[in-house]
Amino acid sequence: MANRNSKYGRKRGSFKIFWLVIAIVTSGGVSGFLNPDWPVVGPLVTSVKTQAIEYKNQTASGLEDSGVNNVQANPGAYAGTPVQSASALGPNDKILIATFNIQVFGESKLRKPDAMAVIVEVIRKFDVIAIQEVRAKADDILPRLVAELNADGSRYDFIIGPRLGRSVSKEQYAFVYDTNRIELDSASVGTIGDPGDLLHRAPFIARFRPRTTDPDRAFTFWLVNTHTDPDDVPEEVDALAQVFQVMQTARPDEDDVILLGDLNASEKQLGDIKKIPRIKWVVGGGVMTNTRQNKAYDNIIFCAPPTQEFTGKWNVLNFEQEFNLSREEALRVSDHFPVWAEFDVWESADTIH
Amino acid sequence: MDDQQRWRLELKDSDAKVRAAAAENLCLAGSDSVAAAVELVVACGDVEDVQNWAASALEDLGAPSVDSVDALEPLVNSPKPLVGYWAATLLGRLGKTASRSQTILGKAVSDSPHLSVQERAAWALGKVGATEASVVESLKRAAASESPRLASLANRALA
Repeated sequence: MANRNSKYGRKRGSFKIFWLVIAIVTSGGVSGFLNPDWPVVGPLVTSVKTQAIEYKNQTASGLEDSGVNNVQANPGAYAGTPVQSASALGPNDKILIATFNIQVFGESKLRKPDAMAVIVEVIRKFDVIAIQEVRAKADDILPRLVAELNADGSRYDFIIGPRLGRSVSKEQYAFVYDTNRIELDSASVGTIGDPGDLLHRAPFIARFRPRTTDPDRAFTFWLVNTHTDPDDVPEEVDALAQVFQVMQTARPDEDDVILLGDLNASEKQLGDIKKIPRIKWVVGGGVMTNTRQNKAYDNIIFCAPPTQEFTGKWNVLNFEQEFNLSREEALRVSDHFPVWAEFDVWESADTIH
Repeated sequence: MDDQQRWRLELKDSDAKVRAAAAENLCLAGSDSVAAAVELVVACGDVEDVQNWAASALEDLGAPSVDSVDALEPLVNSPKPLVGYWAATLLGRLGKTASRSQTILGKAVSDSPHLSVQERAAWALGKVGATEASVVESLKRAAASESPRLASLANRALA
């Protein structure tokens, strides 16, 4: 639930190790979805802006309709946009948020039609999905994925972060979302500032809301996309606790923070994250999230309250079973299964003003 | 010849596509590929497709066999930074059983031209231990580094 009437009324966080870095993909600094009064936070991130420019005109035609590509040319793209009818994929009053580590997602995987068919069908099950492990020097990996997604008339779009990692083998985070059902706050896209270099790949953040309800009542939320270094899990998990708390106070009008991704940590290894008041995580109780079904590395984490929009429904999408694949075929898709959680499209009523 | 042996041989094939497929197969085999640890580290110096799958394989491989220490040590000083990075990482994963590698790791902390290798060597010293005077000296210098991560890792290794 968003705290929309407390102009800077929240207690500011005391965490100084991380700061917010927001990419403004509009030149005029127009902020938020519809409300120009929402403040812009943080300086520009030119790398993300540059990528947004680079992707323009090099992607499938379906990508020109909305999202980052369009925002560059038209800062007010969403202003006055009517509520959209839901796609055939889900009810209007719920959205599905997912995380999916698509192991080494690059040119070689795009060349595997069987694996790509599964990836496309998996993504189409969700309204917004946080992707980890885009690994390629080429810039056309996500545009090609989205072109495949939209081949059936869907209207998915994406945003992608900069290449990150301490070694020369870099990864990118991405968010892929169904523009029929989800709206990106184009001024909110960025990478968490990590001046202490505590994280191998600083999280990629963006703010979204459903389009299937009245914008004034829509559930708005941050997604914080993360992939920890498996050799530094305890330290990175503790750092992510700080990231989470920084995000909770990043904007006075937004307290819904959803941290999701490949933490390389089971619920028993969540360290300082567990110390955050009212913290919840969906994957637990011995449920495994990897394809070999022996690790619980992926999760979706939030506080409730404030994020009471969570309906209680979540699961791991076992695409090996869902698509009747052999273990080897499933591993050629990824060594991780997606994890998803369901949320109401309306902000919790008690704090709507 | 079993699959693992064949893939390890194919990592040295002259055709980059064969090498990439071998690296991918070793990656998909998960911890079963632990015997290929050294070959996978070397493959991190290959072309992008091979490198990506080799690095991904190493992420999930766990600790290599102690027998691989002799082969890993010289790779720490590879001119290819990703090779040095992963050689140091695997030595670190061995913990105290690789304590004899501290000299070469200490030298990498001081002398590697690649910050990523310096950092990983310092991280590894935190695992294998730093008892030799020259290694402790290297770490003390690194603890004063302008790189916050290198300084932090060096301090952790000294603690």
